[in-house]
Amino acid sequence: MAKYVVTGNKVSIAGTDVSAGVARAELTITSTEVDVTDFASGGFTEVVGGLKSGSLSLDFHSDFATDGINDVLTEDLVGTLVQIVLIAGNGTAPTDATPSYTANFLVNSLSPVSGAVGDLSTFSVTFPMSGSVAKAVA
Amino acid sequence: MAKYVVTGNNVDIGGTDVSASVARAELTITSTEVDVTDFASDGFTEVVGGLKSGSLSLDFHTDFGAGALNTVLTEDLVGTLVTITLIAGNGSTVSATTPSYAGSYLINSLSPVSGAVGDLSTFSVTFPLSGSITKATS
Amino acid sequence: MSIAAIRSGIAANLRTISGLRVFEEIPDQVSPPAAIVSLNSIQYHQAFSGGLNIFSFTVRVIVGRAAERQAQRYLDLYSEPTGDSSCKSAIESNRTLSGACQDLIVESMPNIGSITVNESDYLAAEFAVTVYA
Repeated sequence: MAKYVVTGNKVSIAGTDVSAGVARAELTITSTEVDVTDFASGGFTEVVGGLKSGSLSLDFHSDFATDGINDVLTEDLVGTLVQIVLIAGNGTAPTDATPSYTANFLVNSLSPVSGAVGDLSTFSVTFPMSGSVAKAVA
Repeated sequence: MAKYVVTGNNVDIGGTDVSASVARAELTITSTEVDVTDFASDGFTEVVGGLKSGSLSLDFHTDFGAGALNTVLTEDLVGTLVTITLIAGNGSTVSATTPSYAGSYLINSLSPVSGAVGDLSTFSVTFPLSGSITKATS
Repeated sequence: MSIAAIRSGIAANLRTISGLRVFEEIPDQVSPPAAIVSLNSIQYHQAFSGGLNIFSFTVRVIVGRAAERQAQRYLDLYSEPTGDSSCKSAIESNRTLSGACQDLIVESMPNIGSITVNESDYLAAEFAVTVYA
């Protein structure tokens, strides 16, 4: 068993490693719930999974330098699909203990200007996934 | 890499620099999510981007001095479109690391009188963007 | 980026103030007006891949013996938000410390008071500096 403290999950957006500009990453994969309760259900509801979907939440540190997050996630990408690869378990390459998750996400929101005076400029996004997610362990 | 603490993002309303009265500025550009899931989607939802929109949130310090914020953002502007230009990255001039974002915003709300006894008089707004955003890096 | 480089960078910025002696380590003897750059705390792991650590420094400016009027006048000058003797302006004059950090900010001057150095009481002000590197 190997629980871990998050220090270095890897985040690549359209092929560029932006991990150093990310403070939090959360990939969630969900399924709808389809009720299949019938007279033989013994008085309990029964469900099966319906369509699956996903979302990726990221907290960024704004950075306009070359290869900084604002140079990679530019405003013209809003409304388009981008491929994002995550490696969990503080990994840099996919293994059983540090699997990678690759999927297309809709860039539905960006905040190129953000932050109150005196604070580090940051912004958060939640991108919906389009299509399936591919997991790799090697 | 150049993350930055917000100390001097530039905010220009209708051609007047009001930065000295702004404590926070956040520009968000968003896209709607259009479902394109079909029988070939392998059990996952698929999406594409739809119409884009934006909003600008600003926290102001009330100021009725000559040429100050409340003489620029006046009540007769409520219900009208105003051009607002932001320069990110604490820039005063436009560059690759201090890009500008210009857009036309609906003045949908103002609070010329605000604040509890003992507090600095402040007010916050969120103006919806009308039309596109123009980004400049020089 | 290293702590030593950050400390040197802050000290270099402070040395632009005419007449202010600047120390990167606590000196054996203090001859005011003097500024001492001290590391208070570090928050590690503020971004993935070691992309950000947050360093908290205190710049302690010792202006003179507590009873001296000149000490209080120095304190005003060093505490000003702007001006040739402003510690805040000097520290923020080169916010990347010539590449030693990504950005910094002088958050506040939270303390003014007496400190005892070599059995003498001096008037001193502390500046809280946050460095992102």
